[in-house]
Amino acid sequence: MKTVLETMDLKMVYHVGKVDVPALRGLNVSVGAGEYVAIMGPSGCGKSTFLHIVGGMLQPTSGRVLIDGEDLTVMSDKERTDLRRRKIGFVFQRFNLFPTLTAEGNLKLAERIYSNGSNGGDSARRHEVLKLLRLENKIHHKPLELSGGEQQRVAIARAIINRPAILLADEPTGNLDSENSQIVLDMMRGLNNEFRQTIIMITHNPEAAARADRVIEMRDGHVVEPEQVREETHR
Amino acid sequence: MRRARRSRLALRTEMNSLIVANVKQRPLRTAVSMAGVALGVILVVLTVGLARGVIRSTSERQTNVEAELRFFPPGTMPTSGNYLTLSARYADAFLKGVQPSEEDPDVEPKPPIPGVAAATPVGEWVQPSTGGIGFQLVDGIDYSSFVKTTALKIVEGRALGDSPGSEYEAIVDRYYAESSKGTDGRKVEVGSTIEVLGHDFKVVGIYEPPLLARVKIPLRTLQDLLGGAENCTFIMIKTTTPEIAEQVRDSIKHYYPGNPVLLTSELPALYSQGIKPLNIFLNVVVGLAMVISTLVILLAMYTTIIERTREIGILKSLGASKRFIVTTIEKEAALISAMGVVLGFLIAVAGKYGIEANTKLTIDIELKWLLIAAIIGLVGGLVGAFYPALRAANLDPVEAISYD
Repeated sequence: MKTVLETMDLKMVYHVGKVDVPALRGLNVSVGAGEYVAIMGPSGCGKSTFLHIVGGMLQPTSGRVLIDGEDLTVMSDKERTDLRRRKIGFVFQRFNLFPTLTAEGNLKLAERIYSNGSNGGDSARRHEVLKLLRLENKIHHKPLELSGGEQQRVAIARAIINRPAILLADEPTGNLDSENSQIVLDMMRGLNNEFRQTIIMITHNPEAAARADRVIEMRDGHVVEPEQVREETHR
Repeated sequence: MRRARRSRLALRTEMNSLIVANVKQRPLRTAVSMAGVALGVILVVLTVGLARGVIRSTSERQTNVEAELRFFPPGTMPTSGNYLTLSARYADAFLKGVQPSEEDPDVEPKPPIPGVAAATPVGEWVQPSTGGIGFQLVDGIDYSSFVKTTALKIVEGRALGDSPGSEYEAIVDRYYAESSKGTDGRKVEVGSTIEVLGHDFKVVGIYEPPLLARVKIPLRTLQDLLGGAENCTFIMIKTTTPEIAEQVRDSIKHYYPGNPVLLTSELPALYSQGIKPLNIFLNVVVGLAMVISTLVILLAMYTTIIERTREIGILKSLGASKRFIVTTIEKEAALISAMGVVLGFLIAVAGKYGIEANTKLTIDIELKWLLIAAIIGLVGGLVGAFYPALRAANLDPVEAISYD
């Protein structure tokens, strides 16, 4: 299986005043193409930092990050933005849709940014994604006219419309009730099954994590082995 | 290919709809920004229009005479605003020549200027307009010689008298009579009293056509009131035929070197070049308008960027380049500025009719200055939005996406 994400000895230290706060302490993670990986761990263990670095929104203190063979850590800000545009899709806990645009408008804006104005959007792809996420009847609705679950489905559609190499989801069900959480998780599973979409999902929810192919546990800025997790849980 | 172009257009429309939606979503911010840009446009259109309207109207009246030549004191020009510094005796000298006399035995004799049919001294004085806005010119004339150099006709009442007791009489043109009020607060007509140089003058006649100043009083009264005994501002000279005007000018220059002599036909060009201090003032107005537009848009867009930090974070998470973000914000500023420019034009045009209906001022709205005002509004808006746009483009994406 082709590796789509690989981090090597990834470290991140935040400088808060005169204090150095380590967030990642030499993280080594590898994710194959088409894999659905959940990352779990307590608050402050470095999950979000990891996601932001992998998404090219944050530059690590040291280490390497390879996305589809391209090393993020040697790139300029402009190059990282370009890589994010081409290869990353983000889904956030708070949906983060543009409230003034319709569902279709949000998708088209993502296409516009992806195409850099050089070519048009792929209407067949748009139709395919909207159908899979059961949003065909909602395309002309603005976010405030949609339920939380529908908003998150639009956010997922926006994230995958341009066929990113990796879909990064940060607590995608954190703002949803259990029914909508199930729908969203079902759809993410469907995306992975039907499109072989690589997904890395941060979650606190063990049920959500259970839908993934693999679960990575994090503690204090590094990955812990399953045995270690069990020991810590028993203690 | 046509399909691809249509698709591209649709996507662009989507981006533009984001911009339009942002403009609509913050109506107060949009209205305030538009008002700021409009203010700059109004400032340019009305101030420049007023200045040019007054100059054009003055220029037209200055040239609406039959005299082909105008003789000025040394070192002055018709637009420089000199008062009574030229001896009125030059008028007689041009007609009759100069000979030594008992009063002045040492004077150099000079012959009459050939081709001069009539010459009249004119005194000019600028005073605040009776309406309280702007200013107005007052002419001091020697009526009997003045009418020989112009087509002035009394259409109501009578001419200025020269008998004792007629010192505080005035004649006015039709426009002045119809648009001004006398000291009693009523419309000016024959028999009304108007205030000139702090004194009451009785209007004894209304004349046509409009020429030089709209109010004319006896030159000797103006001389007495200003203390410029026997002086005037310039002398108007009518030649026997218009064709010999340049020859006559050369003769006058020959005998009276040092004094500017201009053809009346040259005056419009001089006025259209403007008056130097006025041009400086207009440049200041243009600069001020630009600063106002820039500052208003800068503040509005800066506030907007802070409000929309999270949305900018979303754009960044989608991979939007700095250029994309700058372009989006600049387009929004351009849209607001364009609406401000249109609003400014509408208010300026309404202002023109309002001012002209209620004052004696003339406002010329020229296409050239409308374009300049539009460019000032748009460029000011784009410049003002540039710093906020750059700031937005340089926001930290993680901080922006987490912004509440």
